[in-house]
Amino acid sequence: MVMGRVVGRLWASRQAAGLGGRKLLLVRPETASGKETTRLIVAIDGLDAGPGDRVLVAHGSRVRDLTVGPEVADKDVIVGIVDGHEVTAP
Amino acid sequence: MILGRVIGEVWATRRDPRLGRAKLLVVRPQGLYEPAFGGRHLVATDDVQAGIGDEVIVCLGAPARASAGGNDTPVDAAILGVVDRVDFDAGLMLAPGAAPGIKRPFSIDLTAGGRR
Repeated sequence: MVMGRVVGRLWASRQAAGLGGRKLLLVRPETASGKETTRLIVAIDGLDAGPGDRVLVAHGSRVRDLTVGPEVADKDVIVGIVDGHEVTAP
Repeated sequence: MILGRVIGEVWATRRDPRLGRAKLLVVRPQGLYEPAFGGRHLVATDDVQAGIGDEVIVCLGAPARASAGGNDTPVDAAILGVVDRVDFDAGLMLAPGAAPGIKRPFSIDLTAGGRR
């Protein structure tokens, strides 16, 4: 998994059946110390996260199968909403 | 599997129910491994009571899921072991082409932290 910040929501009126109208969030991965990276992930949200939330994104087809279902056409899934994190070691 | 150092912990109460109560640790990979998404860290479940500062072995992908409490756990990284000691030939590892896929020299920093 990787930590990231939800920076927005994504709508698409024309979309593949595999996305099935599911909620798509834009997540910007962060470094362990909370610095934003330049990447952007479109992740499926099953936990009702919203912009500003720090989330855990897991990647992979099996992760997708277990969380939102095998019919969904996305392999990045939000599996946790971070309450807090602490990075202490160098 | 990759080698990494535990540098922190994450708390998440709202989580996928299949994640259960798994402990989540922040790991910084050693060596050349670049985690997906470019955040230079991984969040992995912990099966072996690793602590912050420990060098650990992290398993990625499907086998990680199996170890983290069964095949129905939606994780892509799990800590499978706490490393007591690593022996490696610095000279060899520092040479480009030391191993397949290694195109530039790299070193592993095992000096700071850890209970060894």
